[in-house]
Amino acid sequence: MKLASAIVALVVLLAGALWWVGQMAPESPIEVENARVRLVPGGGPMAGYMEIRNHSDNVIRLVGAASPAFGNVMIHRTIVRDGRARMQHQSDGVRIVPGDSAVFKPRDLHLMLMQPRRELEVGDQVEIVLQFEDIAPAEWPVAFTVVPVTSQ
Amino acid sequence: MAGGVHGRAGDIAVSLAVTYIRDRATLALTIALAALLAGCADEGWHGKNITGLMPELEFTLTDENGNAVTEDVFAGRPVAMYFGFTHCPDICPTTLARLAAATRRLPQSVSEDLQLAFVSVDPARDGPEQLDEYTGAFSDRMLGLTGTQKQLQALTRRYRITYGYDEPDANGDYEVSHSSAVFVFDAELEPRLMLLDSLEVPQMVEDLERLLTKP
Repeated sequence: MKLASAIVALVVLLAGALWWVGQMAPESPIEVENARVRLVPGGGPMAGYMEIRNHSDNVIRLVGAASPAFGNVMIHRTIVRDGRARMQHQSDGVRIVPGDSAVFKPRDLHLMLMQPRRELEVGDQVEIVLQFEDIAPAEWPVAFTVVPVTSQ
Repeated sequence: MAGGVHGRAGDIAVSLAVTYIRDRATLALTIALAALLAGCADEGWHGKNITGLMPELEFTLTDENGNAVTEDVFAGRPVAMYFGFTHCPDICPTTLARLAAATRRLPQSVSEDLQLAFVSVDPARDGPEQLDEYTGAFSDRMLGLTGTQKQLQALTRRYRITYGYDEPDANGDYEVSHSSAVFVFDAELEPRLMLLDSLEVPQMVEDLERLLTKP
């Protein structure tokens, strides 16, 4: 009987501890999925695509990005109007409201990755640091996978 | 009071009439739209049929091997031509990759003759070597072409397309605006079809197969 009480007490204590630890571990405020760089040969700029989910309670803003693999990274959007295509620098960044996501995809938002510093190959991992406003920490390093230029 | 009622009745009558006219207009618009859509559906193209609307292909440019070439380089074979630049990381590779994928999915009898061409409207950055490396990433049968501004303008004006350059940034990088559609010319080098950038691979395959299948 004493043993049974001890076991029950132990189980309750463990459950409580688990719950407490669960409460302690904060949910990541953002999540980045399907991060990829489409390989373009010839030393020209490449495009980075991904989906950023905002799990936080705040409106956040992606304001910039940097990478050791590229000399310069900009946030661009492709605009097609009257059969004419051009790229637009997103100088105000990209705003993501709570519970929403920003999708960077072909013919739309993309990271413009300029001046590649080394020869990349399909399958390589490239680190790109995403810079946010209204979120801590402000800098989020993300591993992007290099995919073939023919992938969509 | 009576006037008020009258007025109200009048208002209702007017409002009914307006609704009626609006409905009629909506109906007319719907019919027109349906007819238009039916027309498109009858025609059956996903892209835009430009048969007879523009002059035949004609140019003098430099190819990716550094040779001066004219439209004769494609003579007797159909060609799908895209105007872009290699420092275009998003829409150019997306469209060229779709075009190359569509070409690979065509029946061999249709695809064996089809040539692909990438015309760079950014000759300052796109020399033959750069073009060769770029086009090779998409398809062996894609020929890179560029030229002087005069040569490029002579070609783009024939197809009523424009291109332009933004001011360079601090690094000397600049953006180029360009046409977003693929122009398809038949074996006689007559312009036949514009494959819009919004088309997916299966739609490109259907259009190309329909246009290029020999009777």
